[in-house]
Amino acid sequence: MKIIVLIFLLLPLISGIAALVFRNKRFAEYITFISSAGTLAISIYYLLFLLHFHSITLLNNAIIIDKFSAYIILLVAVVYFLSSMYSISYMKFAIKNEGLTDNEFFRYYLLINLFALTMLVAPILNNMALYLIDIELTTVTSSFLVITEVTEKSIEAAWKYIVIVSSGISIALLGTVLFYLAGNIHGIHHGVYSIISSLDWTVLSAHAAYLNKDLVKIAFVLIVIGLGTKVGLAPMHTWLPDAHSEAPAPISTMLSASLLNTAMYGIMRYFNIAGKNLGFNYPQEIMIIIGLFTIFIGVMGIINQKTTKRLFAYSSIEHMGIISLGFGLGGLFGTFGALFQMLAHSLSKPIMFYGSGNLLHKYKTKDIKAIKGAIYTMPKTAFLYVAGALTLVGAPPSAVFIGEFMILLESFKRSDYLISVILIILLISAFIAILAKINSMIFGVSKDESIYDANRLKITKDDFSITSLMPMAVPLILTIILGLYIPSPLKLFLNGIVRIIIK
Amino acid sequence: MLGLVLPVYLNVAIDLLTAFILLLSFVMLSSKWISFYIHAYGIQSFLIFILTLILGIETHSVDLYLVALLTLIVRCLIVPYMLLNMMKKFNIKEEINLSIKIPASIIMGLILTVFGYFLIFKLIHNFVPDIIINSAAIALSLIFIGFFMIISRYTTITQILGLLVIENGIFLFSVILTPTLPLIVELVVLFDILVTVVAMLILSMVMKIKTDSFSTGMLNRLVG
Repeated sequence: MKIIVLIFLLLPLISGIAALVFRNKRFAEYITFISSAGTLAISIYYLLFLLHFHSITLLNNAIIIDKFSAYIILLVAVVYFLSSMYSISYMKFAIKNEGLTDNEFFRYYLLINLFALTMLVAPILNNMALYLIDIELTTVTSSFLVITEVTEKSIEAAWKYIVIVSSGISIALLGTVLFYLAGNIHGIHHGVYSIISSLDWTVLSAHAAYLNKDLVKIAFVLIVIGLGTKVGLAPMHTWLPDAHSEAPAPISTMLSASLLNTAMYGIMRYFNIAGKNLGFNYPQEIMIIIGLFTIFIGVMGIINQKTTKRLFAYSSIEHMGIISLGFGLGGLFGTFGALFQMLAHSLSKPIMFYGSGNLLHKYKTKDIKAIKGAIYTMPKTAFLYVAGALTLVGAPPSAVFIGEFMILLESFKRSDYLISVILIILLISAFIAILAKINSMIFGVSKDESIYDANRLKITKDDFSITSLMPMAVPLILTIILGLYIPSPLKLFLNGIVRIIIK
Repeated sequence: MLGLVLPVYLNVAIDLLTAFILLLSFVMLSSKWISFYIHAYGIQSFLIFILTLILGIETHSVDLYLVALLTLIVRCLIVPYMLLNMMKKFNIKEEINLSIKIPASIIMGLILTVFGYFLIFKLIHNFVPDIIINSAAIALSLIFIGFFMIISRYTTITQILGLLVIENGIFLFSVILTPTLPLIVELVVLFDILVTVVAMLILSMVMKIKTDSFSTGMLNRLVG
């Protein structure tokens, strides 16, 4: 198992460095693709292995892969795989249309691999502080990916991103120090034996009852604020739409579909410790309030948006709100629904961001009003885009629908009807707003009119190659299948994670 | 946690050093020139190094020696050197754009310090000696002042320094309250500071080349 974990971590690292050293474009593309495929295969292997075992433990408990970690790794690996496939066609167009230089090209391939590596490392670390530092490294690598195409706007987005998120991570670090202090202080009062001098999830979770309650309260709030900055929980979400809209489409996808989940994973680990220490009511209430507010902000952002990628960035904010609401409502349905929603988010976001990338290269603009009649110019992309939008807003059958429905069920079960009503109203508003905007982009003109791009050039009917359509089609098929039926191994696996979180 | 009984000289030393550390953050708040900021940050880091060293000697902890040494190298030498080097390279003489004027900033700093003291007093006064409360309160107010510097100054370098002051505050907090924090954590935090600062410096260089200024006031294109 040691060897497999080592290969798993070395694959992205070696492929990134090789891409930079050999300076051959085809080679860089294919080695990234191969490494992401290998990572995906290994992450599925972890999943199958952990169906029968409790956890994989290495290096004297420094690395622990339990069901929750393996699940997050799977989500990251899926998006890494899709993005490396989509990058092949996206970068060709970026070189042609935006004049990307060779240096920028190889830097992109180095950083996309390093970014994937930092995200894959985060869930397997057992030490909280190391986890936070790793999250900080994801910020550094991805902020350079945001300025793949150096423009004033992308620099602004990258600067906002790194300043806001780094200060958020420092708050989370302060919270972690307080968690450590909470374990140490208790010992002075109740004898030497209950000192918990450790920052490991496993140790703190097992001895959560011995932590000092006042400090854990403050520490958990600091963690939610700090890591919530990375997750994009309102009101700390301000960097998210900028970074997601200015990054290249494959990177927006990785930021949205896997990075946010990786940060959410951290909050849930602390959630578990705080819940065991204080009773689950306290952390749950915090997650419910912040979740509802985040959904509200996300939906308001969706309604006001004028550009494609910002629209889906706000949709990510909304989804993260739904996920934290699900974890906040707790119970079997709520937690299961939130976990399932994570998977659904990771499958439906790539379709939309890759589709927006295709539209950007066709119409040379991100402005929703300027894009018209995509169904006539690029029918395959347009079909996948509409279908993806339907799965994104939660029309059945789709994985998003199942996740949101389970979270609603939990709110009924707890008889929190106010939450149900608010959630339903906000979801319907998001549904209408997103579909109206997609409708005007995809249809929008009559068939006989000629269609122009942003430079007033006539667009001819011509669709993209298979490498840019496959990354949209694969997750679409998966999310529809998951909407119709959940395979029983996945269900067992998710139930295992529910037990890890709220036991 | 430090021992409950501390020798007198240590009490005096901790009090004095933390007071000077706080004073230096006010020096930063009250100045208009970037080089002042960088020097004040360097001296502040040096005082934190001395404090860590004294605590290491008192608790006979080899880990703390190592952390102190690395603090000296990273926070006190490398980071200020990089910042000053960059200023020389780009020949920066521009004043800082303040959104909040200097007197108001200082009053704000005072309010934040008092707030930090009350917060820390309510939080930990049950189980730690007074001397620790004082220095922990100063550490917390450094964090607040760092945030205040980020929001009230429109220059990339002062925003970097604001983050560094926050990191200094967290480091001071953890050294004072939890000297037993695993060594690996401190090492990784230092590494992280280095990486983040280098990344931010590169970003601000790119910004300087592209927009011909270090001011973040013009970063207002992305809204909504």
